[in-house]
Amino acid sequence: MFSKNTASLLALTILIALIGLGSACGDKGTTNGPNTNTGGPSAKFSPKGNEGSIAGVVAFEGTAPAPKKVDTTADAACGSKNPNLETEDNMVKDGKLANAFVYIKEGTLADGTKITGLTFDTPSAPVNLDQNGCHYVPHVSGAMVNQKLNITNSDPTQHNIHFTPKNNDDWNQSQPNGAAPLTHEFKRAEVLVPVKCNQHPWMKAYVGVLKHPFFAVSKADGTYEIKGVPPGTYTLAAWHEGPGNGTEKTVQVTVAASAAAKGDFSFSAATAGNAPSLEMLPALEVPVVVAAPRH
Amino acid sequence: MNKGLHRYTLLVTGATFFLLIAGALVTSNDAGLATSDWPLSNGQVFPRMVGNLFWEHGHRMVATTVGILTIGLALYFYRSEPRVAVRRLGELSLIGVIAQGLLGGLTVKLNLPLAVSAAHATLAQLFFCTLVSLSVFTSQGWLEDRRALTEKGGPPLRYLSAAATVTIFLQLILGATLRHSAPWDQFLPKELVIAHIGGAITVLLVLGATVLLVIKRYAGESYLTRPAWLAVGLLLVQIGLGITAYLTRLKSPYDPQPLNPMIGITVAHVACGALVFATTIVLTLRIFRSVRVSEPAYELAAV
Repeated sequence: MFSKNTASLLALTILIALIGLGSACGDKGTTNGPNTNTGGPSAKFSPKGNEGSIAGVVAFEGTAPAPKKVDTTADAACGSKNPNLETEDNMVKDGKLANAFVYIKEGTLADGTKITGLTFDTPSAPVNLDQNGCHYVPHVSGAMVNQKLNITNSDPTQHNIHFTPKNNDDWNQSQPNGAAPLTHEFKRAEVLVPVKCNQHPWMKAYVGVLKHPFFAVSKADGTYEIKGVPPGTYTLAAWHEGPGNGTEKTVQVTVAASAAAKGDFSFSAATAGNAPSLEMLPALEVPVVVAAPRH
Repeated sequence: MNKGLHRYTLLVTGATFFLLIAGALVTSNDAGLATSDWPLSNGQVFPRMVGNLFWEHGHRMVATTVGILTIGLALYFYRSEPRVAVRRLGELSLIGVIAQGLLGGLTVKLNLPLAVSAAHATLAQLFFCTLVSLSVFTSQGWLEDRRALTEKGGPPLRYLSAAATVTIFLQLILGATLRHSAPWDQFLPKELVIAHIGGAITVLLVLGATVLLVIKRYAGESYLTRPAWLAVGLLLVQIGLGITAYLTRLKSPYDPQPLNPMIGITVAHVACGALVFATTIVLTLRIFRSVRVSEPAYELAAV
């Protein structure tokens, strides 16, 4: 019915789009990058029995921003299961901060080996991430590269779990209520991978992905402990979420053989999620001509 | 004049404007990936539309309706439109809506890559532009005999109005890219914000100059002055909406979820942008229809 040119253009449009859709629907697992936890000349870490630990407290100075009430009216199931849903970005109690992700960023073992040059066994036990009451439990967690994440939906409503990493592949999967658990694993180290639910945009969580097992998440009293750390000197980092990419602080710690090292951190309201006043908004650099004062 | 064809074209144009708003609501609510499958939602034709799935699946339903309406439009033009070029444009609209639907599917399957999402938003404006043009071409004002106006010296209005249309389209691409470059809980890239502001200033200058010339040269010609006044009025509203949208968007990363003031204003900004574009297209087409190039140009052409 259409002219020959129009029909050809129509056919070409559909063909190109179908090819694009077909490639988009393909197995994304094969597109993952190299496994950063295996291969290469890296030496494999084996415990010597003289490992120590790092423990400490994550404090919060000043008044933490109050949790914000979440409006769940868009999905009644969320409101009925969790009527007092609030934001979890600043979980502060008695000046101590929960949900800070503490990890060894870099460092050297006592025998001179760099920790980033070692490989570690991937735990067979999965890390659990549950959608319960229209929020993620836990809010912050850690996993090793290639360690399985077991994702469950305990809510009477549908969710989608959406990892939005920078170094790993973006991954989004719907999970209706009653659906079987989903599993996912990350191929590359990344601190931290944001997790969100596009159906319930207030739902946020973070997963720290590392090549080694030396990480922990601060508890409600701000304490954390990393066990099985080989003797050495390390840069220990603590990350706390916030607008943008969050805030990271570091300290140097030395772990002696079979000893406990200490690494405390302190965050403050200046780095927390306080909305800026209008005067504090990032200014656009527009040249301004200021008139000279008259005398 | 085929009144039925014109009215049906207006209907599809109106439905497409509503579709633009539905698409903008998806972006502002961060609902684009509320379901990971396409064209079904959570494996269903009619899923439970709770949470952000309301926006995403609602957008798909409106898009399906527009797609069906556009098939009807292409057939209507094929059967009823005697002008070959206009008939082809009617057929082209079908290609546009199919490409747009598949591009929407790609955005979901590829997890909203910026280039594909921005292309989806841009093609939406192009499709809308096609329908606005078809509405003009089938209107009585376009088809009836019209006294030819001649350019009265100075910059040619044809070129200036065409430049305004292109400038607005480029600004719409910039806006689409800006909107899709960061979700509600991330800060917008400063460079893109500055580029979009620069684009707004350029649009103000080019469209402002066009409108001034129209009013100055053809004050009594309501065929031209009406869309001119409307375009500049909408542009001023659009600039106000843009400033307000920027301020609400700055605060958004600190909010627990996308809040209605930010959603409402950013969506209004997108919708008003489409209206500025549509009005400028109408103005440009009418200028091309009724204003002849000046005598020296004719002489040049004769040579």
